[in-house]
Amino acid sequence: MKAADLGKATIWCTPSVSVYVQSHLSIPLSEPLTNFPADTRTLIAIGGGYLLDESKAWIQDKAPNVRLVAIPSLWGSGAEASPIIVQNRNGAKVIRMDAKFLPFARVIWPELARTIPEARAKEALGDCWANALEGFLSPLADDRLRGDIALLMQAMRRLPLGNHPDWFELSAQASAAQAQSSVGLVHGIAHTLEGPLIAAQPDQGWGHAKLCAVYLWPVTRFNFQHNNANRELLQKYGLDPDALLKIARDLYSDGAYRKALPLLQSLWTAVLRDRCTRTNSVLVRAPHLDYFTTEAFV
Amino acid sequence: MSNLDKLKSLLVDVFLLDPSAVRMDLKREEIDSWDSLGVVSLEVGLKETFGSQITPQEAMAIKSVQDIITLLSSKGIDFSS
Repeated sequence: MKAADLGKATIWCTPSVSVYVQSHLSIPLSEPLTNFPADTRTLIAIGGGYLLDESKAWIQDKAPNVRLVAIPSLWGSGAEASPIIVQNRNGAKVIRMDAKFLPFARVIWPELARTIPEARAKEALGDCWANALEGFLSPLADDRLRGDIALLMQAMRRLPLGNHPDWFELSAQASAAQAQSSVGLVHGIAHTLEGPLIAAQPDQGWGHAKLCAVYLWPVTRFNFQHNNANRELLQKYGLDPDALLKIARDLYSDGAYRKALPLLQSLWTAVLRDRCTRTNSVLVRAPHLDYFTTEAFV
Repeated sequence: MSNLDKLKSLLVDVFLLDPSAVRMDLKREEIDSWDSLGVVSLEVGLKETFGSQITPQEAMAIKSVQDIITLLSSKGIDFSS
């Protein structure tokens, strides 16, 4: 795509990269939700999952004739490659899925990785790994998809568990893959707890990525222990379950887990009802709360 | 636990029912949570509980608790005791 193909374009980008973006692109910045220039042909959205999904929703609902070019400034959600829109509304998640939600184009700007703090870069990998692993284990995945995700996870294993620009592409592939099957309990917990945790503990930096990073290890252990078929499935595709557990363990934070535990207990019924939980590779039952309160995590 | 009791417990967990609401003549249309996601959960739960391989097509075709019993019986699961 060339600049001339964009027509009249505007950029909406997350504040953390706006200075960098403005120093490299001569396209004006705007806030589409409040001040979208008339006759704009292309919206270039540069940001994390929140901004990219809000852009997808805004175009779908308000400006369907505008083309969206999505550029991630952080990996994890892979929203730039997903037909799913996840929005936060009144402390809860509103999720929509349709192929028409896919951006017109997605672009990887590797240098944006330099703007990501190391801790945030690592935390975001919780979402990336949860997308890949849950998408693979999903009861809705078929052999072809599992084969694709297995290759993807092998590529993910070769990257460091921290800041590396190659994560942009692999994150996008993980998101696109799980959209073809489903996610599971990690996302069910993350979606249910995010709003209440942010409200109850506003200074703890809670968000979707952090919750995925915190719960990936406990949930993966749960899935492996309650159905050995999960381990066997990974091995069938040349993946080492224990190596994946180690990655999940490296992303885990015991302190964060303990801080979230009271809300997990009080919201467990809501977790069970979450649509993501209902497509977990292991049936999650009410008594399983005991696993998460009495196992070795606490 | 008998297979019938296992099935009742499974229905409570899959469809998030109150145990007192579980009846052997329940039909899919009577349970709000027996939607497309409920079919997925049911398929997973039946495999875990009874060890039987249930295909997605078989799971989708189930319209009642009695259908579940009929399907599992055809796979050698005994509900008579």
